[in-house]
Amino acid sequence: MTLALTGHCHCGAVRVILEPGRPVGELPYRACQCGFCRRHGAATTSDPTSRLHIEAAPGALERYRFGRNVVEALLCEECGVYVGSAIKVDDRLLATLNVVGVQLPGFEGRTPEPVAYDHETDDERLARRMARWTPAVLVETQPSA
Amino acid sequence: MSVDRLSWRAGGCHCGGVRFEVALPPVVTAQTCNCSMCAKTGFVHIIVPESRFRMVKGAERLVEYTFNTRVAKHLFCAECGVKSFYRPRSNPDGWSVNGRCLDTVEGLTLQIEAFDGQNWEANAAGLAHLSQEPA
Repeated sequence: MTLALTGHCHCGAVRVILEPGRPVGELPYRACQCGFCRRHGAATTSDPTSRLHIEAAPGALERYRFGRNVVEALLCEECGVYVGSAIKVDDRLLATLNVVGVQLPGFEGRTPEPVAYDHETDDERLARRMARWTPAVLVETQPSA
Repeated sequence: MSVDRLSWRAGGCHCGGVRFEVALPPVVTAQTCNCSMCAKTGFVHIIVPESRFRMVKGAERLVEYTFNTRVAKHLFCAECGVKSFYRPRSNPDGWSVNGRCLDTVEGLTLQIEAFDGQNWEANAAGLAHLSQEPA
């Protein structure tokens, strides 16, 4: 059994639990080169066989949309940390997690693979997210102690 | 470093709400930092004196976050969360600009060194000169 990985933004208002579907060392680790990810120094992981829980204190999440306006970048209102991005496809929430922002353990010493998605059509973008992103649950509640 | 070799470079957050300019020489030493805050934002520190920084736009959009000693004033855009610059605890008389937020690094050489912010007290004095105004 693979243990769940936990992390949080700087102030702790947004917490994440990743239940990996495979060994942590096999999870992808990517550095998207878009202007948003670059400025946040982001390096992300996502995996369709894993499960992601995002727990945010009420009012703690800022949702930022840009580009094609279909994905929500999740930011902590209090400390500004970029936690990850999420998209709703039908009734399913899919997400990619910013390993850097929540300091998720298990990625130390790895260099994220630079990736660029500028060339993708809207359909290709959606297909990639459906194939690669992590099924997620987002709960807005007081974080448990 | 002679002052006449400085040139003003522009930068800002992702949504465009916060804009700044910083005067830099062609070769700049910048710091990454492993402290709890910088590790989560990947901040690339370019520390300059007050006179070499100007905020062009967006003061009203900046959210201030402080913790621990509350000397550092961490500033991020309320819209896109990007931390373009802030008042560092090591240099409260100057600014630290985020190298990731410059519009372009063309013609600029960034020499990145690792600052051990996990042992901040032992190392911070080594940065103090970076915000000193030229005599």
